[in-house]
Amino acid sequence: MQFEKEVEILAPRQKVWNFIWDVDRFIACVPGCKEAKTIEAGKLYSATMIEKVGPFRVEFPTTIEVLEREELTHIKAQASGADNKIGSRMKLSLDVKLRDQGEKTVLGFVAGVDILGKLAALGHGIIKRKADQVLDEFAQAVKKRLEGDF
Amino acid sequence: MLRPFRLEEPESVKDVSELLGRFGESAKVYAGGTELLLAMKEGLVHYERLINVKNVKGLDEVTSDNGMIRIGALCTHHQLETSPVLQQRLAALVQLEQNVANVRVRQVGTLGGNLCFAEPHADPGILLLALGAKMVAEKSSSKREIPAAEFFVDAYETALEADEVLTEILVPAPAAKSGVAYLKFGYLERPSVGVAVALQVNGGGKSVHDIKIAVGCAGPAPRRVPEAEEQIKGRSVDEAKVNILKAGEIAGRAAQAISDLHGSQEYKEHIVGVLLKRALQNALTQC
Repeated sequence: MQFEKEVEILAPRQKVWNFIWDVDRFIACVPGCKEAKTIEAGKLYSATMIEKVGPFRVEFPTTIEVLEREELTHIKAQASGADNKIGSRMKLSLDVKLRDQGEKTVLGFVAGVDILGKLAALGHGIIKRKADQVLDEFAQAVKKRLEGDF
Repeated sequence: MLRPFRLEEPESVKDVSELLGRFGESAKVYAGGTELLLAMKEGLVHYERLINVKNVKGLDEVTSDNGMIRIGALCTHHQLETSPVLQQRLAALVQLEQNVANVRVRQVGTLGGNLCFAEPHADPGILLLALGAKMVAEKSSSKREIPAAEFFVDAYETALEADEVLTEILVPAPAAKSGVAYLKFGYLERPSVGVAVALQVNGGGKSVHDIKIAVGCAGPAPRRVPEAEEQIKGRSVDEAKVNILKAGEIAGRAAQAISDLHGSQEYKEHIVGVLLKRALQNALTQC
């Protein structure tokens, strides 16, 4: 499943960039994400993703690896995790790009999400919709935090 | 494999509600179990307690009084397809029930369970929405009626509170000069697209006095499509037959169709239009 999102943030690019690397504040914008830890600054992180669709709940202990980093411009990362209780795995690839637009910064990201295992029984459509919702909420939370400066 | 759980056997709605309140998310109401036990066997969900509601009396009857059909939430699909009340007053629901899943599911699966599980690929909610049904939700100290349009919140999510129990479904009996149709399309037993139409023509049968259109299965939850209804409502029957193409396009988009193994978004949107046209013709022939 491929998703593309863009969000305009009324903040300078440097501020948005710094925010992305402030793990605690950044992770707080990811719905269902908790227990974020820095394993190797700028390279390797871990977190737990908890998502719910109706009665179905998944908990993915996730490792996030930064593959490429171009200062103020681009980040490429990948994440993967497994929920052994329900026998499912999650893989995520993420391309984040920043660019100026007047006084604003455009934060764009392309996310590839793959869900494997029993969870797939819920149906591709339902999972896709949930992932889309999570990414939308994430984009709006980043915007709110940066523009509200809290 | 089914993991161990404790089975509670309450005999009243009040007791069911109290158990739900006490055990919260670790407990789940269990009626027919056709959806729930499947998900549990697959290991997708686990509950420490299942609250068997089949011992609660009075929730498995279909009655009709003062223009209202009352369907107990524990009625099985088989009971509904063979109900004399429904055969006489609501043939479209009988026809729908005859085609739910397979004979084993119809024997044990209940209408209440189907609605509460809110699996997106389910038939009854769509027709009940077009019929303007209300869901009766009870808990220890109160009782309320939830319009079908508010009951279905999202995929697998309903407006029921954690300690509420669906006890009854109230369906206004179709008035004179009215027609009701539900059509679906899908592979195997799960519908990919479902469309329901409930309409009433004026005294002379020349124009459509009122119409309700509902679509489902293609998207996360059943939904009414007032914008499509506006294309038909108040129009002559001939005009309605022309406008149904436009109404179909609108309903297709409103279905929030999702591309999956059952078909692409565009394909499902197209099927909504095709089924809507046929359902309108079907309903008009009943008037």
